[in-house]
Amino acid sequence: MGFSVDFAGVLSGAPLHWLLTGFLTTIVVTIAASLVASLLAVILLGLRISESRAARVGAAGLIELFRNTPFLVQMMFWYFAAFGLLPTGIRDWINAEHSWATFPGNIPLVSPEFIASTWGLGIFSAVFIAEEIRAGLLALPKGQSEAAQSQGFGHWASLRFILLPQALTNSFQSVVGQYLNLMKLSSLATAIGLAEITYQVRQIESYNSHAIEAFAVGTSLYLLLGLAMGRLMLAFAPKRRDGRNETGAGNAA
Amino acid sequence: MPPELDIIWRNIDYLLWGRLAQGELGGLLLSVVIALASGVLALCVGIALAILAWFSTGPVRRVLFLWADLIRGIPLIFVIFWVYFLVPALFGGNIPGTVSVILALAWFTSAAVMYSTLSGLQALSGGQREAALSTGLSEIQTLVWVLLPQALINLVPSYVSLFASLIKDTSLAFIVNVPELTMVASQVNNRTQLYPTTIFLFTAAMYFVLCGGLSLLVRRLMRRPVTASWD
Amino acid sequence: MTDSFSPVIEFRSVTKSYGTTPVIRGIDLSVAQGEVVVVCGPSGSGKSTLIRLVNRLESLTSGDILIDGHSTASYRGAALQRLRTGIGFVFQQFNLYGHLTAAENIALAPRKVLGLSAEEALSRARELLKRVGLSDKEASYPSQLSGGQQQRVAIARALAMQPKILLFDEPTSALDPEMIGEVLTVIRQLAETGITMLVVTHEMGFAREIADRVIFIDGGVILEDAPPEQFFLATRHPRAQRFLRQLLSPLHTTGD
Repeated sequence: MGFSVDFAGVLSGAPLHWLLTGFLTTIVVTIAASLVASLLAVILLGLRISESRAARVGAAGLIELFRNTPFLVQMMFWYFAAFGLLPTGIRDWINAEHSWATFPGNIPLVSPEFIASTWGLGIFSAVFIAEEIRAGLLALPKGQSEAAQSQGFGHWASLRFILLPQALTNSFQSVVGQYLNLMKLSSLATAIGLAEITYQVRQIESYNSHAIEAFAVGTSLYLLLGLAMGRLMLAFAPKRRDGRNETGAGNAA
Repeated sequence: MPPELDIIWRNIDYLLWGRLAQGELGGLLLSVVIALASGVLALCVGIALAILAWFSTGPVRRVLFLWADLIRGIPLIFVIFWVYFLVPALFGGNIPGTVSVILALAWFTSAAVMYSTLSGLQALSGGQREAALSTGLSEIQTLVWVLLPQALINLVPSYVSLFASLIKDTSLAFIVNVPELTMVASQVNNRTQLYPTTIFLFTAAMYFVLCGGLSLLVRRLMRRPVTASWD
Repeated sequence: MTDSFSPVIEFRSVTKSYGTTPVIRGIDLSVAQGEVVVVCGPSGSGKSTLIRLVNRLESLTSGDILIDGHSTASYRGAALQRLRTGIGFVFQQFNLYGHLTAAENIALAPRKVLGLSAEEALSRARELLKRVGLSDKEASYPSQLSGGQQQRVAIARALAMQPKILLFDEPTSALDPEMIGEVLTVIRQLAETGITMLVVTHEMGFAREIADRVIFIDGGVILEDAPPEQFFLATRHPRAQRFLRQLLSPLHTTGD
């Protein structure tokens, strides 16, 4: 059989509807997981650079655990194993209908798939975000913290007023990269049945075998989302105040 | 033996090397084989592309970077899709899932290898290049005998980390039904429906031993200063 | 030794700009066979650029540099490589190859460019190491050598291609004071062999001792070009006078 392209089979009728809800689901799960990731990253970073040795070692161990196992296995663990360990009452509640928590396009926000994806993506990305910021801290000249200490700043005060502002500026690009990565990784939620873009693309492929067209549309949607997210986040980039040139938007595509 | 451990024990050979006796490689061993094959490919292609980028200017360089950004801008799972469906569509015939995953991972990782190799070359002091050129070495000889030997040694840690990522990325082979570790683990889980926690913790532990070992290695390599203090 | 009328190096209306910033603004200069010319001037004066133009580590913006009477402005690729083969260059920061031993640093270009066998190149390297007084360091890596030793290896490396011209770009500026002497001794010996040398340096006592001519450059032009006695004792240009006063002042600190 020859190789002909026909986008009508993808961009009309049921497939179009699937793609749209898939696109929305990807956006919603990305936003939700980004919020979880930001919150957890702050906590993890706080533990990792705290003065308590136990907290530092514990956070480091947790970080190593998440960095050295595949995200897919982590998500399967949350979905197939951890969810089953929740008390029956909570499980029943999550599994029940929640018309109040259903996003337009019939996207249930309280479902095992959505919760496991959001949590899995959130904690995985939090680990990487925390580590990027810590790398930014480690890259600062030692003189910065010594100067702060010599002026009487305590541990947290020197972090808050002197070290973190510089580290955040330096690591901003990499942190943006991690949020973009989170968005791309949400494609793996298809493995636990979250009906996001990738899930819908595969559904179209088995429904009318317009595989190439469906993949092309799916690929463009991710690229589009990545560009938009990159733009949006770079708009919040902290201004460099050390006179160095800002580097370009590297991996914003 | 408690039933949770028994389930691992009864499937241990399947999880570790699949149906090797019947000639069907699988499980952890297949994951490692896929990672090694795509790693070698990615290293060769990535270094070759970095050399091309090093010598090229203008359009060629822009095309290379655009290609790399495009690859890094889409989910890896889509790179696998593309190879799996597009290669047969373009060249006819079918390619085995394992081969398409190897090609896709190599393709994806070669972009990262290109970027690291280029930055490794750029990180060397400009004086190295000038010194080589001023003794009459050509640009190519300078790259081959002076710049690459130093850059590649400095880059060993980042190549090893890329390989660790590659091992984790082999788990995405599930999407085209390749029976690597994650796939067989979820098969065992579906079949038994009894001890998902044990099964997935065991699976994670397998990856953790491999990747954690590699990141320990990276840390050891980084601690030894490989860059000489000549300037 | 200015009896020869066919200069080895001849700058003809040479200019060099970075973007719109001129660094060298029209320089004419002839260096005869065997002449030792010391180039000095304040930092940012263009003195390093001047000698980096000779072996084309910097490209010419306009003008030409004749080597042995041959125009080199149009040299690219292989011709440029041949030009560089005949000109040795010694850097301020030594720039020894970090992954090679002292002997290998010296032997690399003879092997790869001149096609010498490994043994021939090694024996040449040993000979040169002996000449700079480092016979016992042939297996040492740059990181295991002191700054003065590294610079002596770098000089041996520049000599390995048996160049007719040697260029030195502030060869002692990156050295600790106690190591400057050993490097100057090696350069002094080379000056006596009759090789043509252009030396950028701040070591004025040394300049006086080895130079046939001293050139003072500032703002990208040559302001003074005189034999050392005249340059140091009867400095004409006010800017050169000020430069020397500052350099000789007890409050002067080296390094720029």
